[in-house]
Amino acid sequence: MRRYVATSIAVALLATTAFAATTPKPLNVPVVYYKLPNGLKVVISEDHMAPVVTVAVYYNVGFRLEPKGRTGFAHLFEHMMFQGSANVKKFEHAKFVEANGGSLNGHTDFDYTNYYQTLPSNRVELGLWLESDRMRSLDISEENLKNQQAVVSEEVRVNVLNQPYQLFEWISLWENAFTNWNNSHNGYGELAEINAATIEDVRSFFKTYYAPNNAVLTVVGDVDVNEVKKMVEKYYAGIPSQPAPKRADLTEPPQTKEKRVSQTDKLANLPALATGYHLPPQNSADFPAMALLVQILQAGEGSRWYQRLVKEKELTLDLSGGLNYFGNEFDYTGPMIMTTRTTYKPGHTADEVLREMDAVIADITSKGITDKELANAKVQYRSNFYSQLEGSFGKAHLLSALALFRDDPQQINSLLTPFENVTAAQVKSAAAKYLVPTNRTVIDRVPEKKGTN
Amino acid sequence: MKITLALITLTLALTPALAQKTPPPPGPARPLNLPKIAEKKLPNGLTVVLAPLPNVPKISSILTFRSATTASDRKARPGIAQIAASVANEGTDTRTSKQLKEELRSIGGSLSLGSDADSTTMSASSLSEFSAKLFELMSDVAQHPSFPESEVKLAQGNTIQQIRAGRAEPGFLVNERFQKAIYGDHPYSFVVPDEKSISALTPTDLRAFVAKYYIPNTSHLIVVGDIDVDKTFAQIERAFGSWKSGDAPPDENPPVPKRDKRQIYFVNRPGSIQSAIYIGNVSIPRKDKDYFALRTADTIYGGSFYSRLTRNIRETKGYTYSPFSSSNTRAKTGAFLAGAFVRNEVTGPTLLEIFYELDRMRVLPVTDEELSAAKEYSTGNFSVELASQFGLAGRINTVYTFDLDKSFINDFRPRIEALTAADIQKAAAKYFDTYRAAIVIVGDWDKVKDQVTPFGEVTIYDAEGNIINKMGSTD
Repeated sequence: MRRYVATSIAVALLATTAFAATTPKPLNVPVVYYKLPNGLKVVISEDHMAPVVTVAVYYNVGFRLEPKGRTGFAHLFEHMMFQGSANVKKFEHAKFVEANGGSLNGHTDFDYTNYYQTLPSNRVELGLWLESDRMRSLDISEENLKNQQAVVSEEVRVNVLNQPYQLFEWISLWENAFTNWNNSHNGYGELAEINAATIEDVRSFFKTYYAPNNAVLTVVGDVDVNEVKKMVEKYYAGIPSQPAPKRADLTEPPQTKEKRVSQTDKLANLPALATGYHLPPQNSADFPAMALLVQILQAGEGSRWYQRLVKEKELTLDLSGGLNYFGNEFDYTGPMIMTTRTTYKPGHTADEVLREMDAVIADITSKGITDKELANAKVQYRSNFYSQLEGSFGKAHLLSALALFRDDPQQINSLLTPFENVTAAQVKSAAAKYLVPTNRTVIDRVPEKKGTN
Repeated sequence: MKITLALITLTLALTPALAQKTPPPPGPARPLNLPKIAEKKLPNGLTVVLAPLPNVPKISSILTFRSATTASDRKARPGIAQIAASVANEGTDTRTSKQLKEELRSIGGSLSLGSDADSTTMSASSLSEFSAKLFELMSDVAQHPSFPESEVKLAQGNTIQQIRAGRAEPGFLVNERFQKAIYGDHPYSFVVPDEKSISALTPTDLRAFVAKYYIPNTSHLIVVGDIDVDKTFAQIERAFGSWKSGDAPPDENPPVPKRDKRQIYFVNRPGSIQSAIYIGNVSIPRKDKDYFALRTADTIYGGSFYSRLTRNIRETKGYTYSPFSSSNTRAKTGAFLAGAFVRNEVTGPTLLEIFYELDRMRVLPVTDEELSAAKEYSTGNFSVELASQFGLAGRINTVYTFDLDKSFINDFRPRIEALTAADIQKAAAKYFDTYRAAIVIVGDWDKVKDQVTPFGEVTIYDAEGNIINKMGSTD
């Protein structure tokens, strides 16, 4: 039985301290990391808690790198990866995985695209074979492209175009908050551009980005490292590498004045507000303090903004958002904004909501936060972090991101440290530095029709 | 250097190339590591079930009040179970709402309640080092919610607004109309209360509801996670021992309705660019002997990614992104349904294919390959479910909520493996009842009416649930 932390001693110690300011024992996730000669990064982590294994491949390409005039292409391409390869017919990837007791999916994000299956652990070789076959020999046909353009168009309709608010806290906010097209464009895609994609686009994207030297292969679960290494050699060593893709310029000029946008919504019944503040880079000294500040401001019903907006002032119905719209602190690499979304009550205005949000910030920048508040934020942060590691997929995700973006998945065992070391003074100064109107974009979205009050 | 390496790997690749054309066979089966579950009854009647799963240093817990259902007190105070659940953690006799949330933060915790047709459940988690504190908070919320006037008022107002917001969403509307279509007046048809019922509730009503229905002798507490069984039992006894038992209220669920013909329930949403479609019928209670056969028929039809419905209307025809089916079985009965969200132009063709695939399951046996795949899918994913704390807690919760055999988790695999193609066909013939199906569509009536009317009589509703127009096969 594997445990991350022996906790019984910690409990006894904790009982005597006032704010539960705990220094948790280090994690002990076993990590084997190496590269094949063709450049493929390989991460293997044994975990024998349950007879399951996750096999995941992460490619170093996301929305930001898709070609101009082809919004939504990275995601459309993700769909094409299920359309067959040399030895696996169209959609048979799903058939093989499910008929062997597994589940599967793929996801396109700002900076990566992943493919994963969780299987009974004695089927690990099947997962490795399936992923290698499409990495080596994706089969691309006009008919399958047309079919998936239709499917993705329906996906955009069901999740965006036929919904109230149309994901404005992502799509519109990013379009307005960023100036560099790579960062700002609609990653789900405009229907016309999704449907304009050609076979040539698919081929060239595959060749450029879906090479072993642009990917991480991660295996987590009830397996033997040495056996997995042999299988990886067998299925992946022969896949040729490609010239490294030219990295696009993702730099974003600093924002110097507040951006305010007003929108109307044909389908919504209530008004909503979204804000986005540019964040410091992940490797900056301010970042851990900022992450805890996000926790203090908007994580859960105990957070300052929730308490102020929903409970005390009774202005809004809900509050959601965080530091990375799709993921966490570790699974992106380009410029990022902290997003917040709240549905507010008819009869009120966006200015009233903003005034209260600003009052909370002003309170932190003038008085700072209490030691107890900081200690609680750290405990909550640790608790959420552990939850991400609960299953084989969660662990595979974090390990893959660390290998992809930092070339160092071993960091999984020390990731919490910088967050545990944050001081109240750092949180206060981060608030003063980043949570200023000139650094934010605000979108107010109100129902087009009248009289739903 | 890169070039020489590439050459070497190229030659290596040539040798095993032939072996890679077909999928590699599975290795020897690995031990299942089935959970070790311990049960104990407290003197006040609370059933406590513990299962160690130390995958992370946390615990996950479900406290289920089996008496507090949608049906409880529904005649006098419809929706009270739902509002009670949403306000119970907004203050107790000794803690304000804010104090509760702060204490939860201090233990890396979460605690929320929800109610449905068969129970009210409290779900909670924390770092395992703070388990005693979590139990103390759960017990306080279960026994002493104070329903402060201001919190009740705020929740009433917000719930009304949230429901209004929901009425803009096709997913909310199609589900609401479907539950009403198949369950009629039965309490299972309840989705959200109306505004008048919400506003009428008082703190006194809510306190009385909790005193009557949140009682230990009709409740069970499940804890899964990084725990020591004996220590955890002791902590639970301390936290919940003083909870007073009560009289188990009588079962207030009337008999389940039966549908006698196919009908279309159309929720008009002008401006919709898609039709949201649910097709289905009442099925069986959770304890029914056909549970495993129906579940597996669902897997083959539309309950898995490589299902018949997905292959047809997504991968072949490109009508939709995520077609699905689900078999949801509850204490008194259940529902089987197939669904898809499709662009307006293919509304009629989608109905045709959903029915075609349903009837094909009823008339022809599934292939051996399909059956074996569905069995592997069910048993393999069952292992994944049991490997997560809330996954295992949720599975144990169904055993106690629906009074299943205690051996359910260990029996799951053999029960699935025993199914034959004839079992699947029989279940489909019985429960994929296309002749008496409810067809629920949320969309733009003017745009799709000609595609819809060939399938049956239509009643048209607005988003608030009012009948706009009743019509036959013409408009």
